[in-house]
Amino acid sequence: MSVGLQSMETDVVVLGAGPAGLAAAVSARSAGARVLLVEREDRVGGILKQCVHDGFGLEKFRERLTGPEYALREADAFRASGASLLTEAYVTSATRSGDSSFLLDCVSPRGVAQVRARALVMATGCRERTDRQVFIHGDRPAGIFTAGLAQYMVNVQGLLPGRRAVILGSGDIGLIMARRLTLEGVKVEGVYEIKSEPSGLARNVRQCLEDFGIPLYLSTTVTSVRGRRRVEGVTVAAVDGRSRPIPGTERELACDTLILSVGLIPENELAVSLGVPLDGATRGPRVDQNMHTLADGVFACGNAVHVNDLADYVSESGRVAGGAAAAWALGGPQARDLTPLRAGPGFLYAVPQFVDVLSGERGSVFFRSNATVAAGARVSLGAMKDDDRRELAAKTYPVLRPPELERLVLPPELPSGADSYILDMERMDGGGNDA
Amino acid sequence: MAKPRHVDKTRGSGAETGALPLAKALDKLRKAYGTGIELRDDRGSLALEGAVATWRDKIDAGWAAARFGYRGVVNDLAVPGLEPERLEPPGIKDCSLDGLAVDVAVIGGGVIGASVARELARWNLSIILIEKEYDVAVHTSGRNDGMIHDGFAAKPGTKKAWYNVRGNRLWGSWARELGVDFKRQGSLVLFRGRTSAAAYPLMASRAKENGVDGWEYWSRSRVRAEEPNASPGQHGGFFLPSAGSLSPYKATVAIAENAAANGVRVSFDTCVLGFDLESESIAAVRTNRGTFRARAVVNAAGNWADAVAGMAGDRFFSLHQRRGSDLILDVTTGVTQKHIMSMPSLFQAREKTKGGGLVLTPEGNILVGPTARELPGREDYATAPEEIRELERHLKVNVRLSLSHVITYFAGVRPCTYEEDFIVEPSQRVRNLVHAAGIQSPGLASAPAIAEDVSAMVVRVLERSMAVRPRADWKPHRLAPPELRRLPLEERARLIAANPRYGRIVCRCEEISEGEVRNALRSTLPVSSLDAVKRRTRAGMGRCHGGFCTPRVMEIVASETGTGLCDVLKKGEGSWMCAGPSKSGGRS
Ligand SMILES: Cc1cc2nc3c(=O)[nH]c(=O)nc-3n(C[C@H](O)[C@H](O)[C@H](O)COP(=O)(O)OP(=O)(O)OC[C@H]3O[C@@H](n4cnc5c(N)ncnc54)[C@H](O)[C@@H]3O)c2cc1C
Ligand SMILES: Cc1cc2nc3c(=O)[nH]c(=O)nc-3n(C[C@H](O)[C@H](O)[C@H](O)COP(=O)(O)OP(=O)(O)OC[C@H]3O[C@@H](n4cnc5c(N)ncnc54)[C@H](O)[C@@H]3O)c2cc1C
Repeated sequence: MSVGLQSMETDVVVLGAGPAGLAAAVSARSAGARVLLVEREDRVGGILKQCVHDGFGLEKFRERLTGPEYALREADAFRASGASLLTEAYVTSATRSGDSSFLLDCVSPRGVAQVRARALVMATGCRERTDRQVFIHGDRPAGIFTAGLAQYMVNVQGLLPGRRAVILGSGDIGLIMARRLTLEGVKVEGVYEIKSEPSGLARNVRQCLEDFGIPLYLSTTVTSVRGRRRVEGVTVAAVDGRSRPIPGTERELACDTLILSVGLIPENELAVSLGVPLDGATRGPRVDQNMHTLADGVFACGNAVHVNDLADYVSESGRVAGGAAAAWALGGPQARDLTPLRAGPGFLYAVPQFVDVLSGERGSVFFRSNATVAAGARVSLGAMKDDDRRELAAKTYPVLRPPELERLVLPPELPSGADSYILDMERMDGGGNDA
Repeated sequence: MAKPRHVDKTRGSGAETGALPLAKALDKLRKAYGTGIELRDDRGSLALEGAVATWRDKIDAGWAAARFGYRGVVNDLAVPGLEPERLEPPGIKDCSLDGLAVDVAVIGGGVIGASVARELARWNLSIILIEKEYDVAVHTSGRNDGMIHDGFAAKPGTKKAWYNVRGNRLWGSWARELGVDFKRQGSLVLFRGRTSAAAYPLMASRAKENGVDGWEYWSRSRVRAEEPNASPGQHGGFFLPSAGSLSPYKATVAIAENAAANGVRVSFDTCVLGFDLESESIAAVRTNRGTFRARAVVNAAGNWADAVAGMAGDRFFSLHQRRGSDLILDVTTGVTQKHIMSMPSLFQAREKTKGGGLVLTPEGNILVGPTARELPGREDYATAPEEIRELERHLKVNVRLSLSHVITYFAGVRPCTYEEDFIVEPSQRVRNLVHAAGIQSPGLASAPAIAEDVSAMVVRVLERSMAVRPRADWKPHRLAPPELRRLPLEERARLIAANPRYGRIVCRCEEISEGEVRNALRSTLPVSSLDAVKRRTRAGMGRCHGGFCTPRVMEIVASETGTGLCDVLKKGEGSWMCAGPSKSGGRS
């Protein structure tokens, strides 16, 4: 073998050491599998490392933790599990080798490792959308940051991105950064959201904007950026029902910083290269209740599957994916019988998209509504057989909002022989879906 | 000694050689563009003064004036509401160049200035390359299609035609010497109908007249066999095998690095503000970083070349700006066609550009464009939504392409004279000044040939006052830094064993390592801005647009340059990335 080229073998490789990957590694290891966790950065914890505000862990630990504290607990559990870890390691390619294993090329400062594994867990998280095409014509000056980048600069590098900021988009990270920057002495001119509703959690709008007197402008967007070397100002304008700027409503704002919080996109380049089909609505792999993708032996969890707003849910999906991956790796390929689970009208999406009726695991369905249902709604899961719908589970929610991920627990027994499962929404005000 | 090879047949020496008399010229212009126009014979050039109603009228009047047979058109027509543009020098002011004396000062770090500097470095000369930005290829040379044209499209007899064909040949050896990725895919011009197919004999005779290296007629079925995804509306095509493409900014960086390795001093953030003239010669060059002496000066200032000529009292032409936009399609599209393809429509024959098409880049993307619009703004790179729609029609040339493949777009500005040809000549008024001006498309393709001639002209100027001899130690070759993602695993492992930083990936979208970022900062060119790193390595060009790698690259820049994170710049002076330390101090 040539210099620096090593080979390794293991049962389960977990890609990404955020909360999803850490939980997956721990659960695969406790199921008896040999586990290798591969992380691109020099430390585990993923995006939590930069989320210094609290509010993590209420479900899992029944405590209010900061992101780094939550990550520390997960990292401790990981260390105790006996799974192996490769940091500063980047998987450049993943291919199938034969029927029952995968070959990964893994680059790190220690060399190039070729890793053979029987099952893969994709826990690669998400990236931020940049929206570049929409309005930044011409040359891009310094001073345009995604919210996550600004968060990293302030919380990890100890740097202020600017002195006077405009925030475009009302995603959670943008709201949290509005507060953080204000506390740091940066003047936040306002948060501008093109949609008619905020895209972040109501709790964050209250605690991050209202409590600090930061204005939120709905149905308004940034139409242009001024400044050649550094941002000098932006133009904002109100938009009509089809998101087009309304002439005559333009306003010039002086600022040196524009922060974009316009959404997150699951990272799945490696999964796609293995032929894993994605869901158009979540932009993550379509999975069954074991977080098994449609490609045998490839599992996925956390924000790589869909964008979660609670780290607790992320850990839970990691636990499920890790356990199932270990069973697959140790027990060899098992037959699956996948019945589709569809979201009816009124939903943005539902995960999982399939139920493997041969598997004993049940778990939950996670979903988002596609518009605010202020009156509340009853959400139910039905099994469809020919044209008959048999209700399996239901729950009433006092309010549904697109930013809030909701959960419906599945019953322990699912009837076999259904053609499909369907999630339905019944609004308490009797109204139809108007989104 | 090398002599200028191109004998100028197109440009007369002044108004006396059969030019339209001033009164008649004025009459014509006033009839068409209004009575606000005044005319003056400015030492052989036609100076347009006064005012017209619109920018378009100004440009049209300039073009009309160019047909009157004068040496050049100086168009100072005012347009209501539009202030003439002023050169904005960088804010840096120091005296780092004070007292310097060089043999040659080359103004402009585009592909033309860099190529001239590289050629001049063959001789025993002290040379400085002056660029007002933080890097080379920041303007037009970094904002074009990267096509090395065959030379067919240029009008026979023009400098454009001559330099293009010669430049195309030279790019083969230049790319090899410089380690630049250059592919000659060939260019396929598709016929839209039987009538355009009938133009083949005319096209062939034009190609022959221009001296193009090869052309072929391809039947409809040949096109179908070679390019199965070509539009079904094609009626065969005209194939030009010598055409190719390269990355224009990587090529310019490579040229400038090689020039610097051969002793050329490169001074960034340095803007030429004026000249001290003594007995019809430039005695000294004034910049924001001091005043220095030069025996010869080359004007390769791109969109400001007329302003630089004016500083020397030699403004015999003026430039107008033709903006062009391109769409960039993602790398998966590159496999859907083998050649550069276009399908001109007949109306394009009247436009002053080749009409655009689909240019395959060596990296596997497809560029769609460029457009051509006469707009004020020498450095205005905004793209209008209607231009994007205009470019959509090119997508039809390859049935596999759609708008969903577009990852981004950009614009560039062509520096054009009203004669619509290059100016490559020694000044007639200033004894030690050589112009390489009005280098519009195909300027990139022509650059090596223009550089050869300009270099020879400069040597002739210098020989009046010194002995110019070839340097024995001139190194034509540049060792290109490795691009790890393109190497086989074993090779990659070997490099990492020697330098572990090649194993630390900082840009996860484009798979760029710390070692590659450091190489970009350690080249022979003094660059340290994030955008300079991005253009060399692609770190930050991927799908997250730098969201992940920006802090890492900032840290590497700070460690390489020995400065603090707060001193890191995105694109030169004034483009600061952070305002200072945060209260919490970070490292949570
Ligand atoms: C910028 C940002 C800020 C956020 N802030 C909050 C917040 O304040 N509160 C909240 O509740 N939620 C927040 N979220 C949502 C948060 O991401 C989730 O709650 C949770 O942290 C996601 O966990 P994960 O493990 O799925 O992904 P991540 O935590 O993103 O972990 C993914 C890991 O995978 C690694 N990785 C990716 N690709 C590869 C590869 N090819 N090879 C090796 N390793 C790889 C990454 O380096 C990373 O460590 C934020 C998300 C982002 C993007
Ligand atoms: C959209 C588009 C597509 C094109 N496609 C092609 C193509 O496919 N093939 C082809 O061959 N050609 C193409 N061209 C043309 C080609 O890009 C140009 O001909 C070429 O880049 C011109 O190079 P330059 O060095 O003259 O100008 P520039 O690259 O603009 O360089 C001039 C430099 O001078 C500097 N400068 C100016 N004034 C001063 C001063 N006072 N002091 C110091 N520095 C100064 C500027 O900052 C600038 O960097 C295209 C052009 C455009 C706009």
